[in-house]
Amino acid sequence: MSLDVEESIKQDIDLRLKDIAKCEIQRERRLKLYTGKDRVIPVLGFLKSYGFIHLAAISCVDWLDDGEFEIVYNLWSYRDKAGILVKTRISRENPEIDTAIPIYEIAETYEREIHEMFGVNFPGNPNLTSLFLEDWNGPPPMRKDFDTRKYAAEKYGMRDLTEQLKIGMDKIKGVRDGDEIL
Amino acid sequence: MGLFKFSRSRSLWMMHFCTGCGAIEMPPTMTSRYDMERFGIIPMATPRQSDLLLVTGYLTVKTLKRVVRSYEQMAEPKYVIAFGSCTMRGGMYWDSYNTVKELDLYIPVDIYINGCMPRPEAIIDAFIKLRDMIDKGEANAWKNYRDNLDWYKQNQAKVFDINKWSAKI
Repeated sequence: MSLDVEESIKQDIDLRLKDIAKCEIQRERRLKLYTGKDRVIPVLGFLKSYGFIHLAAISCVDWLDDGEFEIVYNLWSYRDKAGILVKTRISRENPEIDTAIPIYEIAETYEREIHEMFGVNFPGNPNLTSLFLEDWNGPPPMRKDFDTRKYAAEKYGMRDLTEQLKIGMDKIKGVRDGDEIL
Repeated sequence: MGLFKFSRSRSLWMMHFCTGCGAIEMPPTMTSRYDMERFGIIPMATPRQSDLLLVTGYLTVKTLKRVVRSYEQMAEPKYVIAFGSCTMRGGMYWDSYNTVKELDLYIPVDIYINGCMPRPEAIIDAFIKLRDMIDKGEANAWKNYRDNLDWYKQNQAKVFDINKWSAKI
């Protein structure tokens, strides 16, 4: 399988973004691009003008050991029928990155979700309110250091049903021994 | 058996609150294969017209608010059937941070149907049990809600802000 389209995209990107981004061909129709936190908006702006007009998703990866979050922008070009991932890393201590709304308006909702689930702040996004978690009082739940089991036990506190289970088991035993079920 | 109990038990109008995966068991139960209408049970559009609330799966905190609100809008007497393992003990979401584990802490439940998911036979079985319970005057969970409102509200307040919610929805 030839990678002509991918090679030509990579060449164009290397030519224009040589100093601020590093581009890789992942496989057929998939490219990756690494850039710095402050360069994301100009890079996205260039890619949109190049043909990547569709922002499919923004996702976040929690690299706990590195102390960093990785923000990943998924772009798609209908002209070249190719996708590109724009990856950048931000510190976990003070997670903050400029909003992509000026380039892609749809980014508002994706950023809202990441803000809710990872606690990343997006200066410039006017609507960083809760999306799925209403009245949430815990830490951002998708972070790797969030203990979901402990939180669930504290918040929902299941009742102890040992006694009832015992009664149920005795009933089942009774049925097995030939007694009629109640 | 009084006339009212007889009539109520044989014309249950059901609001199915389709959360989670259990809703997919409702079409066969409603339609000709299992045909719940022979027991006088028909699906109804709004809580204010319904007698029976069917909760068909796991509830997130956000959904629970809507369930409580729907339940409180229903006219008495009202009955609740909860579906599947998720409504009982959280099921496969037992350690999830955002799903409610035991539904009867927040609204009173007449009948739980076991299973993941329960088959339409089990649902029909629950409907017949509920009919018999109403006939005998045993399906009184709605009175329980009225009498122990403080307890239920206290439990609801643990998972969501009951003072804010009416303005928010």
